[in-house]
Amino acid sequence: MSSETTTGATDPSQSTVERLHVAGLHAPGDAVLSVRDLNVRFNTENGVVHAVRGIDFDLLPGRTLGIVGESGSGKSVTSLAIMGLLAPTAEVTGSVRLKGRELLGLSDKAMCEYRGNELAMVFQDPLSSLTPVFTVGTQIIEALTIHNPTMSKKAKEARAVELLAMVGIPSPKDRLKAFPHEFSGGMRQRVMIAIAIANNPRVLIADEPTTALDVTIQAQVLEVLHKAQEETGAAVVMITHDLGVVAGMADDIMVMYAGKPVETGAVDHIYYNPRMPYTMGLLGAVPRVDVAEKSSLVPIEGMPPNLLQAPTGCSFAPRCPLASDACLDGEPALAPVADDGLHRAACIKSDSLGGTVDVHDVFAAPPVPVSRFDAIPRAERATVLQLTDVRKHFPLTRGALIKRRIGTVKAVDGLSFDIREGECFSIVGESGSGKTTTLLEIMEFHPDQDGEVVIGGLSNKQAADAKTKGKMRRELQMVFQDPTGALDPRFTVYEVLAEPLQNAGMDRAAIKKRIMELMKLVGLQPDHVNRFPNQFSGGQRQRIGIARALAVNPKLVVLDEPVSALDVSVQAGVINLLDQLRAELGLSYLLVAHDLSVVRHISNRVAVMYLGKIVEIGAVDRVFDNPRHPYTRALLSAIPVPDPHLERTRERIILQGDLPSPLQAPKGCNFATRCPVFAALPPAKQEKCLTLEPLLEAAAPSAAVQVLQQAPVPVPDQQFACFYPDGEIDEDMLVVHEPADHLAP
Amino acid sequence: MLKYLAKRGITYVVMIFLTTSAGYFLAVSSLKPALLEQERIPRPTPEQVANSMRLKGLDPDLSPWERYVDWLTGIITRWDWGRSPNGAYINAEFGDRVWISTRLFLASIILTLVIGVALGVYSAARQYKFQDRVITSYSYLAYIVPAPIAYFLVQLGAININESVGDRIFFVTGISTPGVAPGWPQFADLMAHYVVPTVAITLVGWGAYQIAQRQYLLDNVNADFVRTARAKGLSRNQAIARHALRVSFIPVAQSIAFTIPAIFAGGFFAEKIFAWPGVGSWSIDAISLQDVNAATATLAYGSVIFALGAILADFATTLVDPRVRVQ
Repeated sequence: MSSETTTGATDPSQSTVERLHVAGLHAPGDAVLSVRDLNVRFNTENGVVHAVRGIDFDLLPGRTLGIVGESGSGKSVTSLAIMGLLAPTAEVTGSVRLKGRELLGLSDKAMCEYRGNELAMVFQDPLSSLTPVFTVGTQIIEALTIHNPTMSKKAKEARAVELLAMVGIPSPKDRLKAFPHEFSGGMRQRVMIAIAIANNPRVLIADEPTTALDVTIQAQVLEVLHKAQEETGAAVVMITHDLGVVAGMADDIMVMYAGKPVETGAVDHIYYNPRMPYTMGLLGAVPRVDVAEKSSLVPIEGMPPNLLQAPTGCSFAPRCPLASDACLDGEPALAPVADDGLHRAACIKSDSLGGTVDVHDVFAAPPVPVSRFDAIPRAERATVLQLTDVRKHFPLTRGALIKRRIGTVKAVDGLSFDIREGECFSIVGESGSGKTTTLLEIMEFHPDQDGEVVIGGLSNKQAADAKTKGKMRRELQMVFQDPTGALDPRFTVYEVLAEPLQNAGMDRAAIKKRIMELMKLVGLQPDHVNRFPNQFSGGQRQRIGIARALAVNPKLVVLDEPVSALDVSVQAGVINLLDQLRAELGLSYLLVAHDLSVVRHISNRVAVMYLGKIVEIGAVDRVFDNPRHPYTRALLSAIPVPDPHLERTRERIILQGDLPSPLQAPKGCNFATRCPVFAALPPAKQEKCLTLEPLLEAAAPSAAVQVLQQAPVPVPDQQFACFYPDGEIDEDMLVVHEPADHLAP
Repeated sequence: MLKYLAKRGITYVVMIFLTTSAGYFLAVSSLKPALLEQERIPRPTPEQVANSMRLKGLDPDLSPWERYVDWLTGIITRWDWGRSPNGAYINAEFGDRVWISTRLFLASIILTLVIGVALGVYSAARQYKFQDRVITSYSYLAYIVPAPIAYFLVQLGAININESVGDRIFFVTGISTPGVAPGWPQFADLMAHYVVPTVAITLVGWGAYQIAQRQYLLDNVNADFVRTARAKGLSRNQAIARHALRVSFIPVAQSIAFTIPAIFAGGFFAEKIFAWPGVGSWSIDAISLQDVNAATATLAYGSVIFALGAILADFATTLVDPRVRVQ
């Protein structure tokens, strides 16, 4: 440490010379970071894994490069290789130059001078990325101390406060003394950003910075990153699997597949004119939250190759619908696409793609399935699940021996809704809003529950004996979030699927027949029944989970985040399967998901939950296109859309703060503390929000509309709990990015 | 914090009272010192025995409940823990023995901890290298070899040294030589007695801490927050030393706090082999000598020291881990 200090302090002349040298080599405005032919190999027990295979890019100051790819594509390894943070056993070759200085081959000690100084990084999981035993202030100040040993203690503290304020942490001075566990996930990610920008880095690498966060918090953190970039003028490398997240931020995009860039170019080229089938597939696989039109998603069949053997042909060829024999003959290099030199794609057919080619034709997306129930009006269909005023309150107690009740957590507070045959009903909301508790209450089947749950005509009030419970359970089955954790690793698929059937009292022959049916139904090969779950990919495991749920022919399937653990290309296949099963078998779904795009794609009706209450409910297109409750509006506006033009220009509502703790739940409207409409109301009207609780009511069509239409307008399927729907949004919470820095006319 | 300690303290006082009382009832109904007296030559008459026991407050004719009430009254009113069948006063004996045990174990516990934790960190930083393999193998060996055998081996080693030098440098048993002139010669004599047991206990003891510290540190060297620290500009070793070490010490601190008292109260192998008559050997002797009051006193001492260890563990955890809050 001290030796580095002296070199830095006693050799100012040399660093000036070096700087001049660099300036001579690179004209002003030239790349701050240039990567050439970066290769990373890991020695594993199975052989050498070639995780990154030849990456080139130049990053200009103030610009943002988005690196997009699925898990295992080598994007995180690339970022760690640039930072020099890979394990010493990793073999890294090529060149990484930061402002002209070569970083590869530097010792750990020599790299320390750059890391956290000119080169900084924000990691994926904010919960584990901060040291739990040091205060946030200590950790920020440490970053300052390392690179500014002469800075006074006072100056460092002032800078830390300034940084915390910059990333939007309220009362930063007091929060310096707080420990990481006293912050929420979003707040911790802000602290991570504060640490990263502490020394005004020239290059900031963000590795999936918002993947672990709720959408509203994601919007906040992306906003902070945007601001941090503006303040520091740093070049940003944004690594993500979510094409929506980078659409609004990135200037350039690099799509990675199997450790190699397969398409690079300006953001508009990639999103509007992709020339590589993989990019097209990725874009087609993402459902859109802003589009009502129903079309099937584009699934990409198969799995990414393992990188133990060098591919002999195009690495995407085995999954590519356009692959021909020529594709297997040598791996195509990145080549400029005909109409633009900066747009490059690694595909021998790139010239025939682009423009008017529709991704749905290329990937043969299945037709939109039509259910027999679609033609019947909702009111005439039978009710599958009915909840009436369901409540779940947890007492909050203090004291070891004698417990005092100091409050109540209203996890679910008076929930009523119903699900009809053949429909998909979704519940959305931030974590902590009570979605999972609602599911647990539905699965409880206990007469003492607060409120009534009726499943296929059987009420929980009658469920005193095991027989009724068993009947109810057969009507309703569940698919879980994590397909790996939900399957017993010691059970073959046959055993997994046979278990519910045995419980239902089926004989062996019938079970065998049913299992073969199920395997075909969910798109798995029936001869794979004797394999174990670990021999399947994530998407296939989720299909097994779905098959298990369908085994006993339930009327209603409860889907708890069924695709959130899957990669986008795999996710599309599972969503299509769910859609198809619903139509073919006449199933009803109760879906809980945090990804609103998925919800919009698959659901018929949706309920938005906030702190245990439904704040808005109705037909999915109605709610998504015309949200009335300010929370729904904020939630929808927080979702990034994979459309660069739209992302840059649209205004978004950035909610302040996190979900309040249930103890602080306000007396009137739950949402008042964060409400963007409430903030803009005059005090006289605010009073109503603070004292009265708004009830869930349908909007009466306004008188003007009634007169115009002459005939009575049918009441739309939408209810919300707000006194001032469609109110003015407070200006502080409304963000529109300046279009100037991105959109040249 | 004080309020919390007071609260925990009261809980433990109640628990100590209950265990000690239960222990007393068990001892008083199963230990019969009068039977041992009968084996004396010339054999005393039962009346003589009962009389001598009654004088020491060990009347075998009273019911266990009456003896318990007497015993408890003595402790509460006069802090008198009673007498042994041979007439010795527990209070006096107890003070000597606690002091002997403490002297025997204090230095070796400190050495054990320091060496164990330091070697744990050292070997974790060199995982799978030669030094790590040697140190960790040794620790597992020390784990497996029964303590008495290890103590005998150290004694044999000390005797070998004495023989090869041709002079008696180390004493392998005993606390001190009687009749040594005070001052420097007495100190040298004490040290000569002290070295062998201390070295033996330390050599056997550090293995557990080395293994635990190495394991917990290795769990943390690749943690996300260490990577963050490196991304800030710390070298790998700095990041481990500043960030991983403290986190990995949390579980070790807790186990340390719990094992210290256990050694103080239960080191009877070491006390017997090195002939240091401390609390550990007393508790075993008390049972074989049918000594109700001594057995109960050692039990009470054990539970007090265990309660202290539990409070110490809580305290240590709150000290090193800010996430744990005392309420």
